[in-house]
Amino acid sequence: MAELKLIGFLCNWCSYAGADMAGMARMKQPGELRIIRLPCTGRVNPLLILKAFQQGADGVLVSGCHPGDCHYNEGNYYARRRLELLSRMLPAFGIEPERFHFTWVSASEGARWADVVTEFTGKIEAMGKA
Amino acid sequence: MSDIVSIIQRVLGDVDLVLGWTATGAGGVAAPARFQTAAEAERAVFNATCVHNLAVHLPRLKDQTVGIVAKGCDSRSVAQLIQEREIDRDRVKVIGVRGLGGSIDVRKIWRFHGYGVPVDARTDSLFIDGKEVDRQEFLRQKCLGCRDMDPVIYDELFEASGSSITGIADAATVETALSETGLGTSLTAAEAMSAAGEDESRPLGELFAKMNSAERRLFWREQYSRCIRCYACREACPMCFCRDVCIMQTTDPHWTGAGVDAGEAEMMQLIRVNHLAGRCTGCGECERACPVGIPLMLLMNKQNQVIEELFGYRAGTDLEARPPLLTFDIKGDSRSEK
Repeated sequence: MAELKLIGFLCNWCSYAGADMAGMARMKQPGELRIIRLPCTGRVNPLLILKAFQQGADGVLVSGCHPGDCHYNEGNYYARRRLELLSRMLPAFGIEPERFHFTWVSASEGARWADVVTEFTGKIEAMGKA
Repeated sequence: MSDIVSIIQRVLGDVDLVLGWTATGAGGVAAPARFQTAAEAERAVFNATCVHNLAVHLPRLKDQTVGIVAKGCDSRSVAQLIQEREIDRDRVKVIGVRGLGGSIDVRKIWRFHGYGVPVDARTDSLFIDGKEVDRQEFLRQKCLGCRDMDPVIYDELFEASGSSITGIADAATVETALSETGLGTSLTAAEAMSAAGEDESRPLGELFAKMNSAERRLFWREQYSRCIRCYACREACPMCFCRDVCIMQTTDPHWTGAGVDAGEAEMMQLIRVNHLAGRCTGCGECERACPVGIPLMLLMNKQNQVIEELFGYRAGTDLEARPPLLTFDIKGDSRSEK
């Protein structure tokens, strides 16, 4: 089977640091996810996700600071609305909604990050290529 | 009760021009027109073939004071434009239309009776080539189950109704009308595919609702493969007013290429859907303008429905409301994220 293409959009302040921590602690995690670092989940234009799917991504993961912890105070609140709308629209576009996941991982949650990646990769592996 | 000509003439006292209709289309159906003098306004008409959403012209006429004849649905576009501060409430005079009883799908008449056949479309009756036919049968799909019969905003009110207004009083009447005319069942698959899918109660909508993701992907690929990149959907849309800086035509950032293929067309429509989130009033002009019959409203209607469910918001119904994606609710926002 061809290798899965998984894209992760991570906020610089929480989830990227969390992923970094998981790496530094040598936690075991699958390697298919390609991470793109963004300043904030508020920067995640839903079109980035749709474009990723259109260009052949098998899964897209978005992760940022927990609500209330945004480095810019409110970026993730806007993101939450946009991404909720997007996830409900995916079926109409012909994209399985399970291929998209958004979540919150803080800079101190290295272990949680490893779990998120493992679970997400496993789910997409079970679904197969898009 | 005032007729449309005298209302427009009166409004012309306050504005530079009025957007309305004349009966100069094929077979006497309405064609959009602008009136600048009382003499020109003599030719103004209003009937059930006035389907166009004239609000699309307002952003381009910002430097003038404009009067506009607006049906209930069109008035939502005007309201949304004001909400977005694209136009100034003080510089537009809205002639709201009430009691139209739904507008007529002229293309359907042409399909069955020939192009250019004389049409007399009133609020309560329809005559094709001098003979009365069942008006319900030729109503536009989007008018069935209409929730915007009365204009949201208006400065002048034009009562379109004559004595009796048929149909579309409530959803049950619509259901009966649909089953009586056989609209719900008699379309062949090909007709259903080419007919525009304005909401999920339509044959195409039903078909679409039953598809799984893979089938929908194929469905859209097939639909988008017909796209010729004419941008009629964008030009007909009152809310697509970026014009010169539209990202569908920029190379930096390079969201879509210049190629005419299903993939590029799909990206184009994903951009449109995304940019119209919380702004689309569901007027259906994009789909009506599409020369190759891509059922664009399947996506728009779906999105409008989701936005209403999530945020309790309908675009262009409240001048004071803040569009749902420009705000947030810390506690109340639903979350499917974990």
